[in-house]
Amino acid sequence: MRASAFNLGRAVALPWLLNQDGLLAAPVRPELQPTSFDLNPRQPKQSARARAMISLFMIGGPSHMDLFDPKPELTRYHLQKFPGEVKYDNAAEASNKVFGSPWKFSPQGQCGMELSELLPHLGSIADDVCLIRSMHTDVNNHGQSMYALQTGRATPGRPTLGSWLTYGLGAETQELPAYVALTHPSGMPLMHGENWTSGWLPSVFQGTHIRPTEPRILNLDPPEHLAGAHQASQLQLLRKLNQEHADDHPGNHDLNARLASYERAAHMQTAAREALDISNEPDYIKSLYGIDKEVTRDYGTRCLIARRLVERGVRFVQVFNVGQSWDQHGAMVSALPALCAATDQPTAALVKDLKQRGLLDSTVVHWGGEMGRLPVLQNDGGPEKWGRDHNTHGFSMWMAGGGFRGGHVHGATDEWGHHAVIDRVSHSDYHATLLHQFGIEHESLTYKRNGLAASLTDGQSARLVSELLG
Amino acid sequence: MRWVATIMTLIPAAALYARSPEPVTYEHDVRPVLKKHCFHCHGERGVKKGGLDLRLVRFMNHRADDGHPVVTPGQPEASAIIHLVRSGEMPEAEQKLSVREIELLETWISQGAQTLQPEPESVPDFYITAAEQSFWSFQPIPATVPLPAAAPVASAASESPAVSAAPDALAAPATPATPAVSVAAAAAPVHPIDQFTAVAMKKQGLDFAAPADRTTLLRRASFDLLGLPPTGDDVAALAGDSSPQAWERAIDRLLSSPHYGERWGRHWLDVAGYADSNGAVEADSVRPHAWRYRDYVVASHNADKPWDQFIQEQLAGDELAGVVHGGASAIVEDAAARERLVATGFLRMAPDGTADGPPDANLARNQVMADTLQIVGTSLLGLTVHCAQCHDHRYDPVAQEDYFRLRAVFEPVFDWKAWRSPQERLYSLYTEADRARAAEIEAQAVVKEGENSAWARTVLDGIFEKRVMAAPVELQETARVIRGTSENERTDEQRQFLKDHPDLNVGIHEGLLNVFDPPAEQQLFKKRDEVKALRATKPPEGFVMAATEVAGQVPVTVLFHRGDHDQPRQPVAPGEVTVLSAEGQVDVESRPSGIQSSGRRLAYARWLTSGRHPLVARVLVNRFWSHHFGKGLVTSLGDFGLLGARPTHPELLDWLARDFMDHGWKLKRLHKLILTSRTWQQSGRHPASAEIDPENQWLARWGLPRMDAETLRDSLLSVSGSLETSAGGPPVPVARHASGRIVTGEEMLNPNGEPVGVNSSGPAEFRRSLYVMQRRSRPLTVLETFDFPVMAPQCEKRPVTTVTLQSLMLMNDTFVLDQSAAVAARVGRDVPVGSVRRIERLWQLVYGRLPDAPESARALVFLRENAALGELPALAALSQVLLNTNGFLYIE
Repeated sequence: MRASAFNLGRAVALPWLLNQDGLLAAPVRPELQPTSFDLNPRQPKQSARARAMISLFMIGGPSHMDLFDPKPELTRYHLQKFPGEVKYDNAAEASNKVFGSPWKFSPQGQCGMELSELLPHLGSIADDVCLIRSMHTDVNNHGQSMYALQTGRATPGRPTLGSWLTYGLGAETQELPAYVALTHPSGMPLMHGENWTSGWLPSVFQGTHIRPTEPRILNLDPPEHLAGAHQASQLQLLRKLNQEHADDHPGNHDLNARLASYERAAHMQTAAREALDISNEPDYIKSLYGIDKEVTRDYGTRCLIARRLVERGVRFVQVFNVGQSWDQHGAMVSALPALCAATDQPTAALVKDLKQRGLLDSTVVHWGGEMGRLPVLQNDGGPEKWGRDHNTHGFSMWMAGGGFRGGHVHGATDEWGHHAVIDRVSHSDYHATLLHQFGIEHESLTYKRNGLAASLTDGQSARLVSELLG
Repeated sequence: MRWVATIMTLIPAAALYARSPEPVTYEHDVRPVLKKHCFHCHGERGVKKGGLDLRLVRFMNHRADDGHPVVTPGQPEASAIIHLVRSGEMPEAEQKLSVREIELLETWISQGAQTLQPEPESVPDFYITAAEQSFWSFQPIPATVPLPAAAPVASAASESPAVSAAPDALAAPATPATPAVSVAAAAAPVHPIDQFTAVAMKKQGLDFAAPADRTTLLRRASFDLLGLPPTGDDVAALAGDSSPQAWERAIDRLLSSPHYGERWGRHWLDVAGYADSNGAVEADSVRPHAWRYRDYVVASHNADKPWDQFIQEQLAGDELAGVVHGGASAIVEDAAARERLVATGFLRMAPDGTADGPPDANLARNQVMADTLQIVGTSLLGLTVHCAQCHDHRYDPVAQEDYFRLRAVFEPVFDWKAWRSPQERLYSLYTEADRARAAEIEAQAVVKEGENSAWARTVLDGIFEKRVMAAPVELQETARVIRGTSENERTDEQRQFLKDHPDLNVGIHEGLLNVFDPPAEQQLFKKRDEVKALRATKPPEGFVMAATEVAGQVPVTVLFHRGDHDQPRQPVAPGEVTVLSAEGQVDVESRPSGIQSSGRRLAYARWLTSGRHPLVARVLVNRFWSHHFGKGLVTSLGDFGLLGARPTHPELLDWLARDFMDHGWKLKRLHKLILTSRTWQQSGRHPASAEIDPENQWLARWGLPRMDAETLRDSLLSVSGSLETSAGGPPVPVARHASGRIVTGEEMLNPNGEPVGVNSSGPAEFRRSLYVMQRRSRPLTVLETFDFPVMAPQCEKRPVTTVTLQSLMLMNDTFVLDQSAAVAARVGRDVPVGSVRRIERLWQLVYGRLPDAPESARALVFLRENAALGELPALAALSQVLLNTNGFLYIE
């Protein structure tokens, strides 16, 4: 049984749709939800610029005014009283002293995009980067803002972006997971597996966690004595038994998902090993990604793996930092350069490498966190302790490839970098624009729950920000 | 009352109270929108930006900046609010009103901007409207809940569900067709649960699925109540019982198993946030004594302890036992007092990194308090009270003061300004005799250590003497003097002397035997081992991890502005959340005389279990229901508020809650009630239900749940015969394996603290999953892969995922391979020869039934195809296939 998310079967007026007492939010659509879900590739209705995405998610809130969004006013008023009202997300240790960026900005690339000296490699790809300086989610704290960016709403339990994309489009490989999460060797990101949950979408659209060290996928190899024909014979019998069981229990999605997961598991045993093995990559590629240096080895390896996965048809890859490591409430002057040093070169290498392989046109690269930081300092115990508190009202992130406009700076924050004020982009605007690049109109990609059509943007105002597109 | 059966995230605030066919009203439609978007700046907490208070309609004639009234009744276009929200100028916050919400406002204004009820004379900072107060879950649980008038399943009920079953492979052939369900038997009235579900089904044009057969039901009941497949004895006992009470007796047998508490206690441990480690920070230090609370929960379930008592003990066992910090010695001798103190481990389950060097100590302490309140709120109140920590709840009528009222109940335990670390909250179980004995042994050990040092010294002295005597005479005296001088008192000349004559530098410390006399050092090691062995004879010292108060110390709870402990505001007295207090309150004054603690938690626990609380019993029975059926009557188990789901069967929920309280808060009775219902006994095959009701909210079929993580691991062990059934006590250790997995066993560390190997813990490794150490940062891989939750701070509801890694684990993981081999070995022992009979035995062990002919034939083909593996390995490969099937993983 094969069903497309875009082509929902017959028109049946279901009693459970009609009995929703008092629910007015969404028009009732008389289609039947498909009862089985798969990861076969699906053509979007509209023409698509992008077919895959690599999201470099930077949890904690990278400081935009120290990296992407130069604010001379901050330098001018350094350590003076902030003249406006600060909108704190977290008032502990707050101060109202302006904190001028300790780092210099300079124009980069043909386009002259101003970037911080902490990101020299990013400077080298500035002409491919579409920098958004007017992001905002305006919700409190990390968790909520993460939910907003990852799932469209500031509440837990919803499907992630990667789940929506694989739900809508399937994957172009059946030998690898459609949706992959790559985590940091020091530990899981904030909110752990919630970052790749399928929420209430069927679990076949959940992300697969690939471990940061070998074995990157647990239990990938069959035991020696069963490898080959014996395991094949096991899987054949298993398939028969499971198929009969599923036929005997129509309407149970999980049973079909489990059937599919064995197919995929069998293929993955060879395909994933090959995809995750970077040993045959030439040295110049390894050094491009910084794999030859301790400081960039991990992030470079994961970026390279991300490229290899996308090259092989994986739809969505997300690369995570540990915990919320960009959350510099203090000691910014040492912590921020260290994080940049570990990630800057591999990030730029990824974009360059995709480009030289002709993959950048069809692959969206995203770099960003769930918030930015405040113009005032936090932890006023001397320059080495200074940090900045949360700011979800204005922050920066960037996109490259997949039809996003290179060398472009979109929007602006106020003179302090506090609030996005010009050409503001919300998480929903971002999602709508992103889905558009994949050929999907954001309100049309829906999943029916209790008679309501649920979507990534979920009825929030969401603008297709065409200025971001090339 | 109207209710809406859905999850709310999609719905504009207005629809929460919406009653669509009627005119738009302020109370039901408009106020929720304004509360969500506007009150924060226009009314709440005395904040009236631009002088505007939107909380009462009569204030809305206020003129906006453009000179227009905010609301002009009947004229949306002349109402400033409409222009402001349309343009997005208001609210200033990023979340704007949705189109639907703006439409509501317009409609309401054009209909004349009316209220249903007269507005109050004055409006306090926070008040609860009639519409909010009338929300379903805040209503008292009715004293009696009538059964549905019609008995629409009367004819169906006269069939006995388990009788019409398919041929039952394991039933004794001679057994006459017997109803498994006496309650629903012909003569009896229809089971009350079925009356409620039948009415709901009928509305959807549905009817019950056919009943499942008896074998299936016993298997289902065994997984449900014990988390394990039924034993041969269970099967035989039911098969051999032809009485009408056979099924009830089968349930009773399961309920009297000690494994029952292990299964159902685990459900409670999820919401309590049980873990064997402190979490919160990366260190995630171990809580070596948490297991006593786990064992308390298991034992309480096995004893069918009434839940009112169970709740009181967990919230206030210390107060019940009259124990305070520094005065807990009573628990050493008094088992009842000890049990009550152990029970308060419930309040010690929240992550607590306060002793592990958190970045901000005060924040960490307050976080323990906040997490504890979240655990209490979610587990017992079913309300997200914790969302009102920083400001009034955005949706539910819960004021920030309400949150702090609740905090005041618990603050004497968690006084952040006089904090006690996890270590300081342990209470020794040493008796006086134990203590004396331990001191005695310690004294002996110290003496022995002195003797060992002295002995080592004599060895070194001997060596020195020999060397001195061999040295030139003029050096001898100097060498002796220097050796008699302690190292840091030596002069420069003396030091130079030793450099010049290194052979005369023989120290006196015992560690130097390593250099001067290795064989003697070996002897010293033996002597040290003797001391170690002596110390090991001390009576082991157990500790209780508990919540207590310090006598006479009752900190004043103050409201924290924006939830920030550095911005204290007005004091708040202990009490229940206002909207829940219509039928009663926490009577803090009722503090029993003679107790040295504040009495607040005891008073609170008594109020919660008084029978008048609107939520506690509903939340409890709903959670119990969800563990039987895979989902609750309210699907948001921990949120009965406005954003939570509405009950699919509200009358049934109330009936169950009332019945539960009226019959002594006994859970085993409720189990029996549910397991004797036709609703629970349905087959999972019902095409009409699957078609009309894919999510099975109307319960017209069995939901076919997948085994949860523990059931899967425990069942593998049970099928293979490896399960070690010893109960209770310290957990089985877990270790990081070189493969990247977390496994059971003792971790071996190198001097840098890195894992270098795993020592087997023997058969203990095959104990039930409940007894495997639950270190938050090291979940057992086999469990984690199947959705075992990380407690942060608790698990309100287990997610169920189906992912490729699960399949890979079941195909390739050593644990599964080992258990498959053990299954084959077991079959080989039971059936020494004969493939067909072996296959039958295998089917029995894995599925609790015999294979049908095609299954048997396929299995034979498989064994033949894989004969090259050898007889038992081929059988193991076959066993593994069966353990991978959905027929095993999904409970029929």
